[in-house]
Amino acid sequence: MLLLAFFTISSLTSSAQSLGDAKNGKKLFKSNCGACHKLDKKVVGPALAGVTERRTEEWLIAWIKDNAALRATGDADAIAIYEEYGGAAMNAFPFLSDQDIKDILQYTIDGDPIAVPVPGGEVAAVPGAEPQDYSLEILITLGLLFALLLAILIKMRNTLKVVKGEDPESVVDDLKGIWGAFARNKFMVTIATITVGVFFLAEVYWFLMGIGMEQNYQPVQPIAFSHKIHAGENKVDCNYCHSSARHSKHSGIPSANVCMNCHMYIDGSEITDASGQLKYEGEPSPEIGKIYASIGWDVNEKKYIEGYEQKPIKWVRIHNLPDLAYFNHAQHVTAGKQECQTCHGPIQEMEEVYQYSELTMGWCINCHRETKVDVDNNGYYEGIHDKLEEKYHGEDITVEKIGGLECGKCHY
Amino acid sequence: MAENKKFWTSFEQFGNTPVAQKMANKEFAEEIPSEEFLGDAEKLENTSTSRRDFLKFLGFSTAAATVAACESPVVESIPYIVKPEEVIPGMPNYYATSYFDGNDFASVLVKVREGRPIKIEPNKEAHFNGDTNARIQASVLSLYDSARLKEPMMDGAETDWNTAIDSLKKELDKAENNGKAIALLTNTIISPSTRSILNKLQAKYTQFKHITYDAFSVSNKLDYYEKATGVRGIPHYRLDKSRLIVSFGADFLNGWTGQNIEADYAKSRKPGPNMSRHIQIETNMSLTGSNADKRYKVKPSEMGTALAYLFNKVSNTGVTLPVAAMRDDLKKAMDATAAELLEGKNKGNSVVFVGGNDAHLENIAFAINFALGNISNTVAVGDTVFMRQGSDTEVHNLLTSMNAGNVGVLMMHGVNPSYTMGAKMKFDEAMAKVPVTVAFSEKLDETASQCKMSLPIHNFLESWGDALPKVGVYALTQPVIKPLFNTRQPQEVYLALAGEDTNYYNFLRAFYDRKTAEVGVSHAWNKVLHDGTLEIPLTAEDLWEKEVILVNSHESETFVYDLLNSATALKSEAKGGKFELAIYQKAGIGTGTLANNPHLQEFPDPISRVSWDNYLTMSAADALSMDLINKAQSNGAVNGSIVNVTVDGVTLENVPVFIQPGQTQGTVGLAAGYGRKGAGKAGDGVGVNAYTLMSDFSRTYQDIKIEKTDGEHEFAMSQLGHTMMGRKIVNATTLDTYLNASSSEEWNETPMFHTHKGHLESNEVSLWEEHDHETGHMWNMSIDLNSCTGCGACVVACHVENNVPIVGKEEIRNHRDMHWLRIDRYYTSDMTEEYAEENSIGAIDKFAAMETPASSPEVYFQPVMCQHCNHAPCETVCPVAATTHSAEGLNHMTYNRCIGTRYCANNCPYKVRRFNWFNYNGNDDFADVNPAQDDYGRMVLNPDVTVRSRGVMEKCSLCVQRIQYGKLEAKKEGRAVVEGEINTACAQACPTGSYTFGDVNNKNSAVLKAKQDKRAYHLLEEVGTQPSVFYQTKIKNA
Repeated sequence: MLLLAFFTISSLTSSAQSLGDAKNGKKLFKSNCGACHKLDKKVVGPALAGVTERRTEEWLIAWIKDNAALRATGDADAIAIYEEYGGAAMNAFPFLSDQDIKDILQYTIDGDPIAVPVPGGEVAAVPGAEPQDYSLEILITLGLLFALLLAILIKMRNTLKVVKGEDPESVVDDLKGIWGAFARNKFMVTIATITVGVFFLAEVYWFLMGIGMEQNYQPVQPIAFSHKIHAGENKVDCNYCHSSARHSKHSGIPSANVCMNCHMYIDGSEITDASGQLKYEGEPSPEIGKIYASIGWDVNEKKYIEGYEQKPIKWVRIHNLPDLAYFNHAQHVTAGKQECQTCHGPIQEMEEVYQYSELTMGWCINCHRETKVDVDNNGYYEGIHDKLEEKYHGEDITVEKIGGLECGKCHY
Repeated sequence: MAENKKFWTSFEQFGNTPVAQKMANKEFAEEIPSEEFLGDAEKLENTSTSRRDFLKFLGFSTAAATVAACESPVVESIPYIVKPEEVIPGMPNYYATSYFDGNDFASVLVKVREGRPIKIEPNKEAHFNGDTNARIQASVLSLYDSARLKEPMMDGAETDWNTAIDSLKKELDKAENNGKAIALLTNTIISPSTRSILNKLQAKYTQFKHITYDAFSVSNKLDYYEKATGVRGIPHYRLDKSRLIVSFGADFLNGWTGQNIEADYAKSRKPGPNMSRHIQIETNMSLTGSNADKRYKVKPSEMGTALAYLFNKVSNTGVTLPVAAMRDDLKKAMDATAAELLEGKNKGNSVVFVGGNDAHLENIAFAINFALGNISNTVAVGDTVFMRQGSDTEVHNLLTSMNAGNVGVLMMHGVNPSYTMGAKMKFDEAMAKVPVTVAFSEKLDETASQCKMSLPIHNFLESWGDALPKVGVYALTQPVIKPLFNTRQPQEVYLALAGEDTNYYNFLRAFYDRKTAEVGVSHAWNKVLHDGTLEIPLTAEDLWEKEVILVNSHESETFVYDLLNSATALKSEAKGGKFELAIYQKAGIGTGTLANNPHLQEFPDPISRVSWDNYLTMSAADALSMDLINKAQSNGAVNGSIVNVTVDGVTLENVPVFIQPGQTQGTVGLAAGYGRKGAGKAGDGVGVNAYTLMSDFSRTYQDIKIEKTDGEHEFAMSQLGHTMMGRKIVNATTLDTYLNASSSEEWNETPMFHTHKGHLESNEVSLWEEHDHETGHMWNMSIDLNSCTGCGACVVACHVENNVPIVGKEEIRNHRDMHWLRIDRYYTSDMTEEYAEENSIGAIDKFAAMETPASSPEVYFQPVMCQHCNHAPCETVCPVAATTHSAEGLNHMTYNRCIGTRYCANNCPYKVRRFNWFNYNGNDDFADVNPAQDDYGRMVLNPDVTVRSRGVMEKCSLCVQRIQYGKLEAKKEGRAVVEGEINTACAQACPTGSYTFGDVNNKNSAVLKAKQDKRAYHLLEEVGTQPSVFYQTKIKNA
């Protein structure tokens, strides 16, 4: 009894004093614990706010480092927790130092600072923000300056003429003179007509060639999904979601259950806006909520709703090849070892995806002409390799040279 | 010596009429159908649209089209919500399953793309019947048939399953209590688990009776073997062991007993000293007969006599059978056959088949096989095949008791007796006397539409199941797609009726566990499901789940019983008459179950080359005597006379007559499976129903009447427009020449050219630069004309694989068929160069005589697809370079480049290019025949192959999509392409292995070996096209 009282007192005192750096703790919490724990809510594991009041520091350190070992010692509390959560073992974190754990515990005490709205709501200019494009303004200013200069010059000439006693000439008269000389010169007229004609025809040609070309096509998608956040900031491998790109002709849009691998834990409630305030007031993001609505995930209970009528997500296809062209992702990704970005552009920077490349036949052919084939590192080319060497005498083996320009490679 | 037989493809060509000459000179027999677009001139003149208006419209529509083209439609992309683990979008999955429709059984692999079955492939690793034929290849389309029954029907109105089953249960109870029979009429059931369920039903209802009915019954044969062995089944014929095959009217290469015998047949016919010999004695020109080394024509009434005569010649039992008077030539033929059968090398290695459904014929044939020592060797009697179970007696008894009003409930499953029973059997009348009739059916067919309840059942691709096709081979059926409609398996209903509280899948699993435990083997269920079949010692007892008392009488001479009685019966039955009729199955339509499958309707009959029809086949002499004609029209299409056929007082009206070389004089043939009324829009009303004429379960009728009627019938023939006459097209020789000639040049001559450099081969005198074919792959294909039986599995496989459009009868008649792969059939003439020389016949007389039909021609089949010439005439004439050459030996066809000049087709010496005259997948005129116009039918299209549109040329690509797929798989795994991993659809489907496809730059490839074979030759080699496809000389064991 005494012992218990002692522990309680010590833990109370300890909670009063600072255990560590809550800021570092928050970082560690996000990367190690956040998948299963929240401060205020029971998720996969228990809510952690006030955990230091429930358990001793030593016990917590032992538990976090290796809970299985702690259970093996016969610790009754540890076994009780293990059983309470249906025998789902918590991961061991042997790589966290005692101080790390103390930092995390401090974070569980302090919690997230409640952001106080700044009066006036103005946000200071963010240094390093993209420079704006001022070229148009500069041009207009320059133009105005030149016009002013010209006006001054004409005015000056006329003033000089008046001074000399001659009649002042208007600008219109000047232009008439020049036009007259131009119109009388047949050579000039011919050259001008040809220039204008060629320019016009070229414009028509490029307009017609552009029909059906959908470069920069950027449709609105049913979910405001950001490749920038996923592929860029969080560096999720493209193949994680588009797994069939390695195996199949289709890159494949991930099915909702693939999204759920992460979004079971990340519901977007932590997203803050520029002011550091919770964007959705602690509620799950409505965009991520669309995945939940599709697959039937109960965000409060953290489980799938039984018997839910699932609704597919209807994405809008951006890259549309005509049916007459056969394209295979695996051919380019696995066999050709191409980066996704080669065709899809800086996808990791795209907030909303658009068609980066032309996707015209000329564009395909060009790449096939220029791209070298790595014949050395693929067993497929054994045997074929020697003959190619013999035929091309050490020239680079491009896709073209292994038949990559033949019609029947893409059209059948 | 090369055989200098004259080949002719049709009577028109045979007569060398002006029409035939016109056809020979023109690739496109039909003029461009501009009339169809522009209408008649008068109308055009009276129209209010002036030239100025026309230009306005033209300008506006061009501008509108341009503007419309700027806006691309929004395409949605819908991923799975929860993706099944085994599915990778864009990659095919293969599942092993079994096909059985009462007629054909096969272990198959089903190619599934994103959950949709799109192709059936043979399961070459199966223990039995791992090959496919044209019907099984086409069957995948029947899954997506929009004419399928979609909801349960009761009293003509839609109902739900629970109501239907509850009321059916009540009716069964009522019948049981009233002492009325509960009859279940099915086709042959080879599923042991289904039989086990039926036994449970039997246990619950004492009035329950299961009756088996086969549309093409071999009941008498089965009765015979049941008596002989105790087991109702057919012996396993071992053609791979046979040296001499003698068949009396058995069309064994086309279904017959369900055993896929083609592979064994081809195996025994490999050219060499041990090549088997095949003698066919038959009435109609059958697929089997056309492959025979020696074919004798016989009337059905002479069959018994011939067989009895043969028995007397070969038997050593001392019994002499009474033989009726015989034609001298038939006697001679039987003497020769007997002599061959008695030859030492054939002893015990021959097999004598009889076709049809006659116990007496079977009796004598068995006696002959016994006398020759074939039993238990080539005729493996204990190794029973169960694929035919029908009992004529039981069906007859059922009809009697239905008519007497003793049947309370009649359930039917897998049968369509209203259609397949003869008019004389009066099934419909009998059915009307049964208060409750229930049809388990995929369609609201002729029978189901008359039933009180029509319950829609799963297609085999949606079903669970098992099969015991033969002693010791157990096969599983698994669903490869979720049911498309509100259908159920009949087994589910039987289980519910039997009061079993389980579903069929669980029942099957338990049944499987029990059976494997009983025979003391443990095989993982998933492994068997993966493999498709399993070899375990299951016997007839396991199929019927009851004791079978085996009789071994066939192993002793005492079994040869009652021969005298049989011979006497046959003698008295032979009444002859002016005409005799033999009803047969076509290689495409079969029994008619798949009649609504447009692939099979469009598939030209291998012998007649006629699509979308059945007809009375008649010999030229008979036709002449009755003033019946086949006449070519100005466009080359053929019209035929029409007759009425009467058998035993039943008349079938308006049957077209087709003059068939090789048809026995005094006989006619008629294919069953046509004249459907409840099959669907493609199959209904095509041809006439031959079953109507069947007054019992026999398929041959003597003394029939044929009367000419007015009118003409329009045939859709696909060969008339494609002539390759008078040259070395099908190179054929005899086994003797092949084995003994000093040089292969004697029978496989290489065409040589006289040049200033001396005698050169065609590929040495070329205008063109050679392509580099040493680097990378070089795809070649060998087609062995010796093993090709003409069955057409490849033709249908090609259609399904390559989204080849179905064009319908009218367009085939206009010579606009779209088959990328056709099987040319050539008949021979008796006049040869040698004969002319020996008899000093002059050139004019010789060629004139060559035009005269042989009374019994030899038949040759030759599959022809794009030959993928390495110096292709089509490539040089294309103005837009839409057809180009590949470094891998393929001739590419780029549809999006093609502007439809058709120069290429005109310049093709092989006539293999096909032009899209219409937008077959959108034009309303083809809505009835083209499955691609249907929301369900579209699902079977191969997503890796473009659906071509109007105005472009298309042709065989050597399945370039499969080549590219195979190469990519190798690249992905970083290894060389393995021999055999890439195969074309035709080669894969071929049951006899006639096609060999591969890379000739691979030194170990089979195709390189085939190319170096002395039998190899190129089609029209003298043209110098250097094709990538080549043929192997046909060897006749004559």
